[in-house]
Amino acid sequence: MKRFNRIFTVAVFIFLYAPILLLVAASFSSGTSLSNFEGFTLSRYSELFSDKNMLGLLLNSLIVALISSVVASVFGTVSCFGIRRLGRRAQKTVMTVTNIPMTNPEIVTGISLALLFVFIGQMLKLKDVMGFWTLLIAHITFNLPYVILSVMPKLNQLDRHVGEAALDLGCTPIKAFFKVTLPEILPGIISGGLMAFTMSLDDFVISYFVYGPAFTTLPVEIYTYTKKPLPPKLYALFTVLFLAILLVMIVMNIVQARDDNRSRRNKNAKGEITLTRI
Amino acid sequence: MKRRNNVFKLLLSGPYLIWMAIFVLVPMGMVLYFALTDPDTGRFTLDNLMGIEEFLPVFGESVWLAAVSALLCIVIAYPVAYVIAKAAPSRQRVLILLVMLPMCMSFLLRTLAWVALLEDTGILNRLLGSLGIGPLKLIRTRGAVILGMVYNYLPYMIMPLYSVLTKLDRRLIEAAEDLGCSGTQVFFKVILPLSAPGIISGTTMVFVPAVSTFYISKKLGSSGTALIGDLIESQFKQSYNPNLGAAMSLVLMVMIFICMGIMNRFAGQDEVSRI
Amino acid sequence: MEKELIRLADIAMQFDGEEVLRSINLTVRDKEFVTLLGPSGCGKTTTLRIIGGFETPTSGEVYFDGECITNLPPYKRKVNTIFQRYALFPHLNVFENVAFGLRIQKLPEEEIRSRVLEMLALVNLKGYERRSTDALSGGQQQRVAIARALVCRPRLLLLDEPLGALDLRLRKDMQAELKRIQQQLGITFVYVTHDQEEALAMSDTVVVMDKGRIQQIGTPEDIYNEPQNAFVADFIGESNIIDGIMHEDRLVEFCGRKFACLDGGFEKRENVDVVIRPEDIDIIPYQNGHIKGTVTSVTFKGVHYEFIIDVDGFKWMVQSTDYRELGSEVAFIIEPDAIHIMKKSEYSGMFGDYSTYSEAYDRDIREFDGEEPQEEKQYEAEE
Repeated sequence: MKRFNRIFTVAVFIFLYAPILLLVAASFSSGTSLSNFEGFTLSRYSELFSDKNMLGLLLNSLIVALISSVVASVFGTVSCFGIRRLGRRAQKTVMTVTNIPMTNPEIVTGISLALLFVFIGQMLKLKDVMGFWTLLIAHITFNLPYVILSVMPKLNQLDRHVGEAALDLGCTPIKAFFKVTLPEILPGIISGGLMAFTMSLDDFVISYFVYGPAFTTLPVEIYTYTKKPLPPKLYALFTVLFLAILLVMIVMNIVQARDDNRSRRNKNAKGEITLTRI
Repeated sequence: MKRRNNVFKLLLSGPYLIWMAIFVLVPMGMVLYFALTDPDTGRFTLDNLMGIEEFLPVFGESVWLAAVSALLCIVIAYPVAYVIAKAAPSRQRVLILLVMLPMCMSFLLRTLAWVALLEDTGILNRLLGSLGIGPLKLIRTRGAVILGMVYNYLPYMIMPLYSVLTKLDRRLIEAAEDLGCSGTQVFFKVILPLSAPGIISGTTMVFVPAVSTFYISKKLGSSGTALIGDLIESQFKQSYNPNLGAAMSLVLMVMIFICMGIMNRFAGQDEVSRI
Repeated sequence: MEKELIRLADIAMQFDGEEVLRSINLTVRDKEFVTLLGPSGCGKTTTLRIIGGFETPTSGEVYFDGECITNLPPYKRKVNTIFQRYALFPHLNVFENVAFGLRIQKLPEEEIRSRVLEMLALVNLKGYERRSTDALSGGQQQRVAIARALVCRPRLLLLDEPLGALDLRLRKDMQAELKRIQQQLGITFVYVTHDQEEALAMSDTVVVMDKGRIQQIGTPEDIYNEPQNAFVADFIGESNIIDGIMHEDRLVEFCGRKFACLDGGFEKRENVDVVIRPEDIDIIPYQNGHIKGTVTSVTFKGVHYEFIIDVDGFKWMVQSTDYRELGSEVAFIIEPDAIHIMKKSEYSGMFGDYSTYSEAYDRDIREFDGEEPQEEKQYEAEE
């Protein structure tokens, strides 16, 4: 049974990675289709890096992902403090609303935002309401829950006396926040922000309904490409992004590993306290 | 002092409340509004909802395919999550990273890679051909759509299962063994019931995107396997009829809401019976 | 006598309309060790937080060195606090935790170093500078918290149940150590605890609180020997509290008999509460006794036996080194100096009869009853 499970697990990983490996392999193939391998070449990469159009789209994606995840991280963290100050009932309601973008099908989030933007466009008599700003707003909206849901538990874990101890030792409230509270919840902010960034970078469904001809992101462009044969340099781009995301995830992993170790040790210390109390 | 506190509180939470109201609640309201109004006159009507009737088979097909995918995901993800949860801590991190990594990679391109694998003249058929089998009809079948769904959403099932399994208290298993359970009995009487919360959250995380997808079916399915997502998409992108699209979305949301309600009810009962 | 350092003048505190403190008047002198003692929810922690600046009282003023500091925020007060469960900064190591306050004051690096090391030596944590605070035991964390507060050289140190999370033996050691540090550095301590033994052992002055009010202020001896009401008598040590009538100065009647006593100053035939400590009662041969009863419970306590003796339905607690058998008829006498007379109070009749006595139950109620909800309430209100 044990051996079966292990072999099965390996098979599942092959299943998960086969298409990825295929795409990576295709980036080095001189053939034009995914299923035909001809000679080895690096020309896909040079094509990619000389294609201003494609790099522009990538830049668009990165800009939207970066701005939306940074805004969501700051905005979300500040909001967490605010939400915690609300009454219990209000807090529950706010968290339910926060969960809506997470549990709703993406397509519904996409079209609902599209309906709103079109409506606002009509109200303001704008010709092309869809574009950079609508994309950014949509991305911030679906990024916020990731940040809130990863910062909130950190804030709840925080010993409120720790903040008071900083005040007691001479910190002004603002200093206490930056010297004590922020370092404590930072792992939550970082992992929420990184998660938001990767989600935003790869988002297609929501972006597809709120992008405009003036500003397109890479995944949306890939979708509209699919009517024609895909340019092979996309595979090169995929490979580059794969490596980049791998790097981001390793960093995230290290941050979390450190944080986990610490909270595990903390828990042990607390366990000891409760034991002695009993 | 008290008043300053209140101002501070509003300053911190106010912007978020306003943001979520405008960009989450109002859009939901707009879906409701569009679903219940006539596209030409703007008057209240149930025509859009009634109009869905002819698409009911599509709804049925979507739910069916998504449910089968979710079930397959449970069966496939469980042993994987179990193996990962049992691995040494340093290895666990690496394996979990490997599970999460595909979630962050372009979902479109990965699906296209499956097209290349499954095509009539694709890689798999050529491999089979060299063994003297085939060519099989792999792509443009329901099976291919299910495969696409399982492939794309499997990590969303592994993650919650993994997290319940790692939190499982070893002493419970030992207690069960102590009370005379065999290995299989331990699994079915202790481990499986305790992982119910993970199964439930994984099922929602697979079912919701699977039932509403419109890309997988377009690429891997045939014209006969159009899903709700495809219908909604075409109402907005091809034949522009947002009212009908909104009505479909509304039905989709209600459907998902009911499904989740039923599952949570099960979970709730499970909790009670366990106590 | 040292001069006044802290004065609380008529402090009242309400959270959401609920009265937590009422007319608190308290003076703490320089270099004094004052303990706020009371059951959970009595307002002792709130009082401490008002002194620390974490709460602003609804009315009343706080004076520090004669200066009104009621609205001064905590970071501007020359007061430091040792928090319940220490509140060490988890992201800083031992050295940086202790150095925190000095760094905020922007002292030169050299001075910080020498002061931190000196302080760590004082609390017996030499060599622990680089350790992470999570890697320390409860007692060591406690010492870091002490060092962190004292390194700022406060005039006044506030301690909120600092030993509550330690086990019994460690607690005793730390009591002695805290007392030593207080005397060595000559700092004023205001100490909050619900443990009466701790309060008696450490303090110069004990402030007994209940229901948001001060019940009695005095030296440990005063509090024990001359409790002002039934609550104090019961909370500090064990007491038999009996209804009595004061006939005249130095003559009291209870249990149907008149007894000579040492108290006076009451009205003629005033109803009073009579307190008799269990260790002050002498068991004597049956025929010679003032009061006669039956032993209904015997517990061996090491130093002595503890008897519950039923006298016409009122259960007395008596401690004696001589063994008596369960069910035996005994008598006891009460000497005049064993009798303490109290005026009637709202607590009369609530304590002092051991009819429903259960030691474990009693302790549980005292220590844990309402502790968490009370804390929560305070936090919520503060936020």
